[in-house]
Amino acid sequence: MDVIANPNTPPSTAARAALLSVRGLELTVPSAAGPVNILRGIDLDVSPGEILGIVGPSGSGKTSLMMLVAGLESATRGTITVAGRELTAMDEDALAAFRRDHFGIVFQSFHLIPTMTALENVAVPLELAGRQDAFAIATATLGKVGLAHRVTHYPGQLSGGEQQRVALARAIAPKPKLLLADEPTGNLDGATGQAVMDLLFGLAAETDATLMLITHDPRLAERCGRQVSLRDGRIVSDVRALDRAA
Amino acid sequence: MQTLRLAARIARRELRGGVRGLRIVLACLALGVAAIAAVGTLTAAVQAGLAADGRKILGGDLEVSASSRDVPAAMKEFMRARGDISEVVEMRAMLVALDPQGASGERLLVELKAADRMWPLYGEALVDGTTPAQTALAVRDGLPGIVLERVVIDRLGLRPGDRVRLGEATFRVAGTLTAEPDRVATPAVLGARALIARDALDATQLIQPGSLVRFEVRWRLPEGSDIAAAARELRRTFPDGGLRIRDASRAAPGVEGFVGRTELFLTLVGLTTLLVGGIGVANGVTAWLNARRRSIATLKCLGAPARVIFVAYGMQLAALAVIGIVIGLAVGAMLPFLLAGLIGDALPVPPRFGLYPGPLGLAALYGVLCAACFALWPLARAREIPAIALFRDQIAPTHARPKLPWIALNGALALGLAGLVVATAQDRNFAAFFCAGAAATLVVFRLGAMALTRLAALAPRGRSAPLRLGLANLHRPGSPAPLMLVSLGLGLTTLAAVALIQGNIEREVTGRMPGAAPSFFFVDIQPDQVDRFDALLAEGGVTQQQRVPSLRARIVALNGVPVEQAQVSPDVAWALRGDRGLTYAARPPAGTELVQGQWWPADYRGPPLVSFDANLARGMGLGIGDSITVNVLGRDLEVRIANLRRIDWRSLGMNFTLVASPGLLEAAPHTHIATVHAPPEAEAPLLRRVTDALPNVSAIRVRDALEAVANLVARLGAALSATGGVALAAGALVLAGAVAAGQARRIRDSVVLKILGASRRQIRLAFLVEFLAVGVMAGLIAALIGTMAAWGVTTFVMRSEFVFLPATLVGTILACAGLTALFGWIGTGAALRTRPAPHLRNE
Repeated sequence: MDVIANPNTPPSTAARAALLSVRGLELTVPSAAGPVNILRGIDLDVSPGEILGIVGPSGSGKTSLMMLVAGLESATRGTITVAGRELTAMDEDALAAFRRDHFGIVFQSFHLIPTMTALENVAVPLELAGRQDAFAIATATLGKVGLAHRVTHYPGQLSGGEQQRVALARAIAPKPKLLLADEPTGNLDGATGQAVMDLLFGLAAETDATLMLITHDPRLAERCGRQVSLRDGRIVSDVRALDRAA
Repeated sequence: MQTLRLAARIARRELRGGVRGLRIVLACLALGVAAIAAVGTLTAAVQAGLAADGRKILGGDLEVSASSRDVPAAMKEFMRARGDISEVVEMRAMLVALDPQGASGERLLVELKAADRMWPLYGEALVDGTTPAQTALAVRDGLPGIVLERVVIDRLGLRPGDRVRLGEATFRVAGTLTAEPDRVATPAVLGARALIARDALDATQLIQPGSLVRFEVRWRLPEGSDIAAAARELRRTFPDGGLRIRDASRAAPGVEGFVGRTELFLTLVGLTTLLVGGIGVANGVTAWLNARRRSIATLKCLGAPARVIFVAYGMQLAALAVIGIVIGLAVGAMLPFLLAGLIGDALPVPPRFGLYPGPLGLAALYGVLCAACFALWPLARAREIPAIALFRDQIAPTHARPKLPWIALNGALALGLAGLVVATAQDRNFAAFFCAGAAATLVVFRLGAMALTRLAALAPRGRSAPLRLGLANLHRPGSPAPLMLVSLGLGLTTLAAVALIQGNIEREVTGRMPGAAPSFFFVDIQPDQVDRFDALLAEGGVTQQQRVPSLRARIVALNGVPVEQAQVSPDVAWALRGDRGLTYAARPPAGTELVQGQWWPADYRGPPLVSFDANLARGMGLGIGDSITVNVLGRDLEVRIANLRRIDWRSLGMNFTLVASPGLLEAAPHTHIATVHAPPEAEAPLLRRVTDALPNVSAIRVRDALEAVANLVARLGAALSATGGVALAAGALVLAGAVAAGQARRIRDSVVLKILGASRRQIRLAFLVEFLAVGVMAGLIAALIGTMAAWGVTTFVMRSEFVFLPATLVGTILACAGLTALFGWIGTGAALRTRPAPHLRNE
């Protein structure tokens, strides 16, 4: 049974305890042909430790939702609260610091810095946080993702799967509360993608992080404890595994 | 042919997207060509002015001149029989303002010119803008007229009708001299112009035996006469070595020399600009081709052969180069016109502005060579890189080198460029040194870049993330640091060298000389006035004095070889052109520094000996025992070199090129010259006392002369600063290009760093560390090479003592670091303004 959230519903008691809470979120971008409504009022609560899959066809607003949650894009209307802090009220630097302390993000295109080695890429967020043990943690995390032998390699010298593993290591190294992953296997073949996802789910569980996974892949979505479907900028279903089982 | 057609089609399609990435290339090329074209046009305009006005500047078709004696009457008759002649006498004199009662007031040294009624033979001399000078000079109310330069009128507070005294004669101020056709606009270091009629000169009694006077006879020949033949006939008929005969083509040899030296200097500035621009061309072309990697790779994947790629992109660059060169030529041709108002005063003759195809053609040739030389390497490199490497070049750079024929062609182009610089330079040695120096500078900056990246890689990991990131940016693959360093290098080195040379000149003039300099030079003291002069000085106020006999002598032969045929080094040729100071002494004058030979015994009465300037002797190939023939008042005298002295011309003391042994010259008509040191408050009474009592004696106030020199130096300094400014502007343009080339990387890095939680301050600091490190390194290398260049120019070109000026250099380094940081700040600001979301979506 699909559970459709009412956009006008105030946050529940459970929502107040949520790690991520989104209320009335709208995103409209101007274009030559007139304003384009990408998100049309999203309400969403995500609890700590939850594994959330966001699914939907291309253009449904999945990536935009993630960009807004990560503070990389400004909402036209609505609020986003993470760990009790209201993101829409923060300036750019406050958002950056907040991301540094609370988020780990994995992109489809990896977004590694091509002129930094694997080790340097993983160490950067820790360095930015002023961690003196940045390189030790980065080395250990690269070991966890099976790249201990690739630490001095540049992204251009790594395969796609290895690059995504570096990106994964970079995302989890600071032990974030919330892991955001946008089509992390979109650029990988099936077997490599499978290995990366195993790693992602395993690491999320190990670090007790909340995972918000954006994917096209129904099999991947099935592995999430909760699935939220988007269409035309609206949530059309929000199903938990228990509901699915029922 | 098919390759060309195909390449042309590809080029046309590529150009549809505009030339955005090549704007810096266009600007660099246009700037360099404009600099060279402007210098060439200006020089051509001045030379055309000299050539066109040669007769006016000389005052006739030919001029015969003599020092301290008149031109022989027979010679004047000879000339008068074949044309028109005009006689002019020039000397220095004290002009004294008189009050209505006839009492002496303020006084000033003037450059006096006494011209006969025929003057000027060419051109027009005007007073107060409209009145012919001859009218103004006429006797009125019983007094002859005198016309003065504006500065004299102002300094002495004179009005038309006022009376002034020159020597023993009184004159009526008839107006301000506004046009004097035969005066080259040289700075009035030793007095401004005063003009009187030749008839009125005798009454002044300024012409005394041995006085420093120049007699000139100008000759106007009938139209169509063979001037050179007339000069030859004159020389043959009157073989007098003491006379100087010049024609209009050599109206102003000093000016020609000045123009030549200025041209060399400005051309080197232009070439530096072009060379700096060349680096901008190389950077711009590399960045442009990098941005087209995907297109090139795609074309190659689709089967386009390397030569098609090369020709297609070569065509686009050629088209752009033509546009850049044309813009440069247009700007360069117009710039002298536009600047005429600003620089007009600084030019010795009015320039004849126009379109000079020669210099413009040369500038275009430089532009073509420069564009080809600097664009070929990246173009040939793109040709050789395999398609897959083009995709990955930035991440895992392929160290592709162009094939040997392309390297050879690039070498030939570089040699061609250097060859053109040397071949078209007036001083080829200097030009060759410049080319070698420029090449060495580029190599040193490249090595400096390697050292910087190595040092950054070795630097310990600090606690500060921005510091570590900034340092790491320096040694990462594809780091723009080496490019920025080399881009800054040449322009900055030029600036450092110019700053040091300017500092040395200023220090030389304003720092060292006045302390040791006397208050006055008194000249033209007659032998029978010596006792009176000494007595006047003894009345008080004088702290130090020195008086020696003085004659003017012209060197006419070296070891019996006429100077026209003698081989002398160019840097001492000046000593053979005009009259030199000659004195005689039994004992070495105070402060004499002998470097070779012995001084003659005090009672020496043998064949005439001479003590000569060691530097001139070296340049003329003379040594102890060699003979010099000097012409003194029309008589040739052979003297033998007994010793050589080192003369410090900057001391402003009593320096004579030639000091003869006593005996021979004592009987010749001569005057005395004296240097007098006095405290500032005693100077005015002393001047008044001497020139009132001895009206024919002229006083040169050293402070006034130094002030005039200081003004000149200030103008020179402004020109040097402007020069450094042009080079720096070119450097800044290239740096902007280098910063722009790294902008895509900066945007990408700052977006990812923002995602990872970096604050804007942290990102800005990281980039600032990178830019500052580049700036400081560039500043240090520029300081080192600039110091060497300034030392070379000061020591070997200016023949001056080089002094290291650390403050100037520190200023240069700081300015450099500041400039780099500023560009970095601007570039980083643009990168930080990029919103992450759109960038991430586009990936």
